Amino acid sequence: MARPFNVDVVSPEGTLWSGDAEFVVARTTEGEIGILAGHEPLMAALSAGPVLIDHDGDQRTTIAVHGGFMQVVENRVTLLTDRARITAGDRAEAAQEALKLAEGDPLEFEE
Amino acid sequence: MASAELRIIRRRIASVSATRKITRAMELIAASRIVKAQQRVMQSRPYVSSLIEVISNVGRDAGGTGHLLSEVRDVSTVGIVVITSDRGLAGAYNSNLIRMAERAIGHHTLEGRDTRLFVIGKKAQSYLRFRGYRIDQTFLGMTDRPNYGHARAVANLVIESYVSGEVDAVEVFYTDYRSVLYQIPTRVELLPVQPPTDADAPEGRSVSYSYEPSAEEILSRILPRYVEAAIFGFLLESSASEHASRQRAMKAATDNAAELTKVLTRVANQARQAEITTEISEIVGGAEALMASER
Repeated sequence: MARPFNVDVVSPEGTLWSGDAEFVVARTTEGEIGILAGHEPLMAALSAGPVLIDHDGDQRTTIAVHGGFMQVVENRVTLLTDRARITAGDRAEAAQEALKLAEGDPLEFEE
Repeated sequence: MASAELRIIRRRIASVSATRKITRAMELIAASRIVKAQQRVMQSRPYVSSLIEVISNVGRDAGGTGHLLSEVRDVSTVGIVVITSDRGLAGAYNSNLIRMAERAIGHHTLEGRDTRLFVIGKKAQSYLRFRGYRIDQTFLGMTDRPNYGHARAVANLVIESYVSGEVDAVEVFYTDYRSVLYQIPTRVELLPVQPPTDADAPEGRSVSYSYEPSAEEILSRILPRYVEAAIFGFLLESSASEHASRQRAMKAATDNAAELTKVLTRVANQARQAEITTEISEIVGGAEALMASER
């Protein structure tokens, strides 16, 4: 089993997801990137898209994000996003959701 | 038959207790809002502190945050953001903050700097307009329950004015929420963004990152987010302070109304007793007179 590392998904409204994960996939402005434990320090700008977090062996959490940043330092991944939503479904659904977030009014936020 | 005096006092008692019920309700509403507002302040903090950590890490790694939003210029015009509430009945909450902002405006004028006013909340708007200040932009309906979109609207305006050179610095006046009993009007220099020092980000350390796309591009994307998040924080702090001030003011009003009812009831009882005494002495006087005439 892959070594776990710490992941936080943080938005201004609160911490969306936090825990240990084995594998993270996110879409940066340059393309998709997968993070495993021991990744080199990275600072990336995210574009709208799905973020996949594999954790606890066989669990997968999908989060739709509307842009943001990802920092990888010393086995700690921090995803900063001003707008994100955890989606129940698969990657395609998260991608759909992210697109919806991206197309929404940039000034319209839920309470 | 009650005398005119007694009737008037009873009417006042009824009106005071009705007011008491209203202020009591407002007190309870404010109290429940404080809890929510406090939670939201707490929830927003990880985001802001992570942003600061990232900015300081990137700044250190890339050799300074050489970006438009952090560029220090000679200041000839200052943008002033004043965050107050739309509604009153919150004690000295608004007047304390407005007084502080007004002093700052006076100070800038004295030093020969021009000011641009960006006003949030009806209270500051009406005060400053009445005093004859020129208000550049007003935002209403934000401070009761601020959301991130509100912060972004303000941030967009502020950034735009700064980038276009209309203002050379931006100060924000908001009320910092320390505790339910303690909130202080606070002045913050928002723009130019001051590169965070090591003290601001204790977790920060020298890291050499690989960047996607590039350090400059990341900075130019992250600094506006930082301004938004900072303003969001100020709005949340102000909102929590507003509710706390309102709760305190309404509690005082409720207590005063209760006290007033007590005093008025005493006066009413006195008036009633005086009336009874008068009636009895009239009866006794009448009987005495009758008895005297029969003799």
